[in-house]
Amino acid sequence: MSRAVAEPTPAVASGPRQPLSPAKRKQRRTLLALAAIAYLITFLVILPILWIVLLSFQPSADILNDPLSLGHLGLANYVNAVQSLPLLRMYANTFLIAIAAVSLGTVVSFMAAFALTRMVFRHRRLQSAVKFYFLAGLAVPVYILLFPVYRLDLALGLFGTYGALILPYAAVSIPFNTLLMTGFLADFPAEIEEAAIIDGAGLWRLCISVVLPIMRPVIATILIFNIVYVFNEFPFASILINDPNMVTVSLAVSRFQGQFTVDYGGMMASATMVLIPQLVIYAFFQRQIIAGMTAGAVKG
Amino acid sequence: MNWISSRPKILLMLAPAFILFTLFMTYPVGYSLAFSLTKFQGFGTPRWTGLDNYARILTDQFFWQALVNTAIILVVSLAVLIPGSFALALLLQRKIAGSGALKALVFGPAIIAPILVGLIWVFILDPKIGLLNRALAGLGVPAVTWIGGNTLTPYSVAIVFIWSSIGFAMTIFYAGLQTLPSDVMEASALDGATGWQQVRHVTIPMLRATFAIVTILLITNVFKIFELVYVLTGGGPVHRSETLVSYMYYVTFTNQQYGYGMALAVIITVLGALVSAGYLMLSSRKGDRR
Repeated sequence: MSRAVAEPTPAVASGPRQPLSPAKRKQRRTLLALAAIAYLITFLVILPILWIVLLSFQPSADILNDPLSLGHLGLANYVNAVQSLPLLRMYANTFLIAIAAVSLGTVVSFMAAFALTRMVFRHRRLQSAVKFYFLAGLAVPVYILLFPVYRLDLALGLFGTYGALILPYAAVSIPFNTLLMTGFLADFPAEIEEAAIIDGAGLWRLCISVVLPIMRPVIATILIFNIVYVFNEFPFASILINDPNMVTVSLAVSRFQGQFTVDYGGMMASATMVLIPQLVIYAFFQRQIIAGMTAGAVKG
Repeated sequence: MNWISSRPKILLMLAPAFILFTLFMTYPVGYSLAFSLTKFQGFGTPRWTGLDNYARILTDQFFWQALVNTAIILVVSLAVLIPGSFALALLLQRKIAGSGALKALVFGPAIIAPILVGLIWVFILDPKIGLLNRALAGLGVPAVTWIGGNTLTPYSVAIVFIWSSIGFAMTIFYAGLQTLPSDVMEASALDGATGWQQVRHVTIPMLRATFAIVTILLITNVFKIFELVYVLTGGGPVHRSETLVSYMYYVTFTNQQYGYGMALAVIITVLGALVSAGYLMLSSRKGDRR
């Protein structure tokens, strides 16, 4: 056979498979090496999470002395953590604040975005000026707002209520919401809406039964992005909430170190109990969540 | 659309967002600017001090330390994340078994609250109980003070930031790679471009906008780093490991020097905007020359 001449390296018995050309084989070997690198990087990324979960099953003494021993794994930390954490409370608070703030922010942004792209202003300049005004908010970092919003909440009598967090969370979502919604509507022809108007639809019916359904994908993105933001937000919550009954999840996590001091097992079990639900939700909706969180960068 | 555009209707649609935004964003920014020109400790009336707070920043060694730390985090993160996340996007674009799952796993840390990210990494980086030093001890390497010492904390914070951002940056690059026209890629492959040449001369130039977006987002996010430091070291020892925002938070809310804190907030905002603008100018000028 003439094939043997072409091959400089003696072929390792490749089993029943068709013998590959050297180029193909090299390609396959490269791909295997690349896959190994990809798996290794992914493993390194999830390693810290695995570590926390492992520690959460270990007695605190083992965490200090011999964290790799697997002899005494148990649920003691979880019992301890469930007893000392207001789990239900902090999730209920966070959900309440998230739902209220994200609904409010989305509704007002939707109304504004509709006005800014579909309604006819007598002065067109004014229309683009208002849009620019909202978009300028994208350049405002949250930390410059912390103290003024605290004072504002006090002055408005909001401090000590959920409104203290709901209103600023809704407000800081307006620039991003406006960016995505006006961008979407500007690209979307207004013909369907015009037809609906000719059919006699008023402003409300037009918005609710015509425009809203059209905007479903962009609204889904906005909801996901903002819910993740509110869920993970810490600086505002740390300043605007001082009632222990109103702690959010992030706020509770920030107190783990003080609360458990050297009870590392309890701390890890608590961290795991916050982490796992989040990761499970992420596992179910990862495609939408990833799209939602990167939409500003990918589309903008 | 004239039909539905009476002036009261326009007002009605715009008013809620306008009021909410003005009250909770515009007004607070103005308030911060005004308070940055005063001395205010939370009681009594703020005393007008002109630019004194800004002059004080110039001689505040803790501010400069925080600035240096933030700069270290910025440089290390960008140096690792830009090439790293781009390479990872290229890698996961190949036909690797389970690359979809790998993408989701690598993105995972981006959805974890920063405060929890900090707590997780305490158990990796802590000099006594952390995984890292345990692993090093197994290799016979003496303990390293990753956090809480005098020098290494900003580098450790950079590592944590890289961990939580690499999937995010990779996803943006990945989305960018999907938009590249396949005929161009095929044509360059037919012209005999090897993998690396193709990346260097076709992919990277065509993704310039994506590189700019990722860089700007990372710069903005580095300037916002706060929770990580808050949990890892609390800024200590003696403010050695503060970032700009964590120091501003300390001055404002722990020390209750509201006027000075607002001056810091204003300066940090301006610095962040300047770095982003500077990067944009540099990258667009480079683009023109080609």
